[in-house]
Amino acid sequence: MTTAAITVKDLVKSFGEPGHEHVVLNGLSFDVEHGTLTTIVGPSGSGKSTLLNVLSGLEPYKSGTVQIHSGERSTTDLGYVFQSPRLLPWLNIIDNIMFVRPKGVQEGTHRQRALQYLGMVGLKGVEQKFPHQLSGGMQQRAGLARGLAVEPEVLLMDEPFSHLDEITAEQMRTELLRIWQETRRTIIFITHDMQEAIQLGDRLLMLGYHGQIVEDIKIDLPRPRKFTDHAFVDFYADVVSRFHKMQSDRAEELAVN
Amino acid sequence: MEVTMRPNSVAAGSGWTERLGRAVKGFLINPRWLALFLLLAGWEALAIYRNTRVIPRLERIYIELVHIISTGLFIEHLYASMVRIVLGFIVAMILGTTIGILMGSRHTWDEFFKDTVLFGLALPGLIYALIAVMFFGLSILAPITAIVGTSYPFVAINIREGVRALNKDLLDMARAYRVRNWDVVRKVILPSLLPFVLAAIRVGFAIAWKVNTLVEVFGTVNGVGWQIRASFDSYSVHGMLAWALLFGAVMLAIEYWILVPIEHYFARWRPNVGQVI
Amino acid sequence: MGLATNASAAQARTDRTVQVTKRLRSLIFSYRWLALICVLVIWQVIALTSNIGVLPTPLKVVTAGWELVSTGLFFKELAASMVRILIGFGLGMLLGLIVGVLMGARRFWDAFFQDLVVLGLSLPGLIYALLCVMIFGLGLTAPVVAILLASYPFAAVNIREGVRAIDKELIDMARVYLVNRSRVIRQVILPSLLPFILAAVRVGFTVAWKVAVLTEVFGAATGIGYQLRYNFQLFSMRTMVAWALLFGAVMLVIEYGILVPAERYFARWRPKIKEVI
Repeated sequence: MTTAAITVKDLVKSFGEPGHEHVVLNGLSFDVEHGTLTTIVGPSGSGKSTLLNVLSGLEPYKSGTVQIHSGERSTTDLGYVFQSPRLLPWLNIIDNIMFVRPKGVQEGTHRQRALQYLGMVGLKGVEQKFPHQLSGGMQQRAGLARGLAVEPEVLLMDEPFSHLDEITAEQMRTELLRIWQETRRTIIFITHDMQEAIQLGDRLLMLGYHGQIVEDIKIDLPRPRKFTDHAFVDFYADVVSRFHKMQSDRAEELAVN
Repeated sequence: MEVTMRPNSVAAGSGWTERLGRAVKGFLINPRWLALFLLLAGWEALAIYRNTRVIPRLERIYIELVHIISTGLFIEHLYASMVRIVLGFIVAMILGTTIGILMGSRHTWDEFFKDTVLFGLALPGLIYALIAVMFFGLSILAPITAIVGTSYPFVAINIREGVRALNKDLLDMARAYRVRNWDVVRKVILPSLLPFVLAAIRVGFAIAWKVNTLVEVFGTVNGVGWQIRASFDSYSVHGMLAWALLFGAVMLAIEYWILVPIEHYFARWRPNVGQVI
Repeated sequence: MGLATNASAAQARTDRTVQVTKRLRSLIFSYRWLALICVLVIWQVIALTSNIGVLPTPLKVVTAGWELVSTGLFFKELAASMVRILIGFGLGMLLGLIVGVLMGARRFWDAFFQDLVVLGLSLPGLIYALLCVMIFGLGLTAPVVAILLASYPFAAVNIREGVRAIDKELIDMARVYLVNRSRVIRQVILPSLLPFILAAVRVGFTVAWKVAVLTEVFGAATGIGYQLRYNFQLFSMRTMVAWALLFGAVMLVIEYGILVPAERYFARWRPKIKEVI
């Protein structure tokens, strides 16, 4: 009997025809505990997004197991926040959230939740508006509310703030932490921004060039974390140096070949 | 506590059977040839099954095609038609360009011509053809007028868009550098207008030959349209198909192998060719 | 305080009256009326002075038209034509929808239908009309088949663009959230396709009524086209022109009064409508 929310064992994912395969995820194994916020970083092409696509079922995988263990509080297993809002432009915000109502949930209940989470992300009062009437940041927040409203066991987030300007992104990070502390969903957060990863996560997974986990770091710093704190800066420097080591190892590898 | 298992991919079509089927389809059967083959085979089958004069065998059509070409009949009537098309088209271009330039440069002209152009766009060629023939009889003015009437609106709106798209910044820049007027016209205005002119030519030509054929059906003594009418009157489906196929081939060849490439060549520098209808 | 509010309210009222007057004035003194007057004057002059052929004066045409309307003959023939148009148009849209979806969804079908569609787009309506009349004779089949063949390619290319424009990212989003298939079709695919369907309807209708009239000219005993031919043969210009203008007016009202506004309404949420022809 496991307490983990997600169990991944020996996950292998490759692209291409047999014989010309490009292995993107090479035997990944990790568990994610309920209610934790895990950040995943890695160089471009390391398979971060692919991992998320496999977890969500958008992509098939070659071998291994992926299991999501839903708790009692959850109405569905997954929510997903994409890099772009991916809202249906012809529906207003509340209808957009109603669109993804999980199978077992009553319409009235889901509508209530939708309004609740819209309030939580700071979008109270915009339910009737259409996406094109909202700013980029507000649209992204609507996408987040949509993911929360299905009350998933796990919330997958694929670089959700990377297309926003820094000020809005910073606001969104603070809000995300607040919401996470309120709802205690399990969150998997992908980012290319090391600082963001350390600021948000309980745990940091670093993917390498060969589709494996090269670092699995627990982040014990107390929240709220500020980049100006000594502890934060030290931690950041450590993680970045490990990242650079991985990059230089790779450069050597390529030079030899 | 329950375990939710996501199916290994909610995607589809990636199994080996699907991939094999796709390879077979792509390799052995070229879809375009398949379509053409099915069309011809279907026609032939229908012709054999029905055994009636109005659905001729493919061979009969082919014989007619050869006959038309080898006796020089095709060239003779094609020439007659082309004369009308070219003349009408030229007048239509002149009229359409003038009106288009006026409409594009001043709002008052735009307002003035707006409805007549719209009307011309909407009115079917048939009406122009009937009225032109009734008014001008068998004179060459009939097809020319009909062509001008149907074609000039299309030319006008394309030219109008071209004029409106003239980059005012570039013109101001040229003026600031005291560039001579003639050079401004040659190097700023004309190149800017060129893609629109070419679009206008392509559309105008396409309209011109279609309307001309209509006019010839009702009121001429020679030309491809007249031949088509003659075939219709004598219930000669093979004749009509032969003339239509040959003429259509020539016109499409002009459109797609001459006009469209020219248009694309001169519009190379544009991110997307802005054509109006 | 009270005085100030009264003054500003009065100012607002004056502003509004000025605006309304301005709009009325621009409506009455617009150049568009000037253009209409010019056209009528030119028409009248040609009708009275020309010795080339017969051109009825505007007044004669209006009189003839009034007769057609008041006797109800216009509506009777209009109904006959509309039946053919609607049936042919309906079938053409259906075929165009099927072909368009296939072409947009699978590359195989895109290649398969490509030549047929291009051919269908370029072939003049005249050929469809004549062939169908020759093959099917008088009756409902000829116009319906002609319209079907002439209009389906226009519908198909629009639907094809619509299918290709379906946002894959939205589909993926729906898949991740395990939204069931019928909801995805209803709330993602159909709304996405709707503007393209409406564009197809608009273009298809335009082609449909033009081909319908052509078919009737050559092979029908009722309908607008028949009346056009009948009056053409009798050299009854004023009646012929009256028929043409009345029918054209009705078609324009349908197109610009119903179809175009419908298209614009349903595409409100889009930044830019992309239409094909």
